[in-house]
Amino acid sequence: MSLHGPELVGRRFSSSHRNHITAEALAAFARAIGARADLAPPTFLITFSVRAAEEFLPSLGFDWSRVVHGEQRFKHYRNLKVEDVLSSVSEIESYKSMAGNEFVTVRTDFAESESGDLVSSTWSTLVFRGAPA
Amino acid sequence: MSFDIGHEFNKATFFVNRDKLRAYADASGDQNPIHQDEDFAKSVGLPNVIAHGMYTMALAGEAVRSWIGDDKSIIEFSTRFTKPVVVPENQEVPIEFTGKIVEVNHGEIAVEVSALCEGIKVLGQTRVRAWV
Repeated sequence: MSLHGPELVGRRFSSSHRNHITAEALAAFARAIGARADLAPPTFLITFSVRAAEEFLPSLGFDWSRVVHGEQRFKHYRNLKVEDVLSSVSEIESYKSMAGNEFVTVRTDFAESESGDLVSSTWSTLVFRGAPA
Repeated sequence: MSFDIGHEFNKATFFVNRDKLRAYADASGDQNPIHQDEDFAKSVGLPNVIAHGMYTMALAGEAVRSWIGDDKSIIEFSTRFTKPVVVPENQEVPIEFTGKIVEVNHGEIAVEVSALCEGIKVLGQTRVRAWV
């Protein structure tokens, strides 16, 4: 696979998924990490943002089987609630290649589907390892 | 409790095993086989199955909630994944979290978290901002 270039920065993607926070999904996530189930854990949105990146980046030629998670950041403008329905827009915020590895930071903004009010943003830096020479 | 700059929280230890990784894979939707299948993990050059970085981050979040109160709102949370948490079969692998308050500002605090697994730093630059 050839490397991408800085022209990727600014590429955007809207997920077709309806990001619906169900009580069931929240409880399963909370149980898996040993958390209380009535408040969304601060990393819960990863369940949506990774899916968005998994749809978006392979369409640009990135090989999902060579991905490693490098960094992660969440910013919450309000607490998440059961029955929230969120739309998401992802954008490539930075790109660099180093020694055959590619570092891509994707920001995903989650907004209330109905009002459009921003709820959270997530930043995932994904490292696509170069194929061995 | 009062939140003072420089305050250090007591160590919180979480144990990771293969069953927990399977439960996290199902709950998060991240079914990458490097987190479940030993043969696959070794075939791509890993020492064994490794925990999802996001699972370790989620545990760091729970450590912070246990320190500051799990009803507090976390408004920002960031980390780097520096080294993998290796999870051999039939083992309980401990991850030890420690934390320190590094900022206090009008009801908002920042906590710096460190995460060690068998003496190795598995997260870097981990920081949580919360309303207290």
